[in-house]
Amino acid sequence: MRLGIVRGHVTLNQAVAAFRGKTLVVLEPVTMENLRAGKGLGGGKSLVAVDALGAAEGQMVAFTEGREASNPFWPDAVPVDAYCSLIVDTIDIHP
Amino acid sequence: MYLARIGGTVVAATKHPTLSGCRFLLAERLEADGSAGLEPVVVVDWLGAASGETVLVSTDGDIARAKLGNTTPARMVVVGIVDSAAATKPRSGGNA
Repeated sequence: MRLGIVRGHVTLNQAVAAFRGKTLVVLEPVTMENLRAGKGLGGGKSLVAVDALGAAEGQMVAFTEGREASNPFWPDAVPVDAYCSLIVDTIDIHP
Repeated sequence: MYLARIGGTVVAATKHPTLSGCRFLLAERLEADGSAGLEPVVVVDWLGAASGETVLVSTDGDIARAKLGNTTPARMVVVGIVDSAAATKPRSGGNA
């Protein structure tokens, strides 16, 4: 899982049936440099992920990418390739 | 699979229900020359890896699915704690 900061939400007008009722968030992945700085900056190339945890804008999440991102919808086959797995409370960085 | 250095611990109260009880560590992917990658990753650990240790991370979710169930989004798992790893310097003109 990579770390990402929620920057916004996506609402779809038309979508494949599998996306009905799913919440989509725009994530900005966090680089190690920005994580250490602790100023709420990301720095990575943004992407869209499914969020079932209710992450708010500005919160940091860890998101799963790839085939495993659609595991939560098993046994349904859904075209999801990024999924918010947890909302970060704290990260203790050890030097 | 790749080598990564454990850089810290991640605490998360809100998570996918299959992940409750899991230990999450912050890991920095290592290049052959020992430098770290740009973005850190969060990995699941069942081996008890400590900060500063080098671990082997698998990006295949099969172990996680076997332990946490078919619906788990867990993917990156610590599959070993490294004793030693040696890489030779790339030759000039190699596949850079």
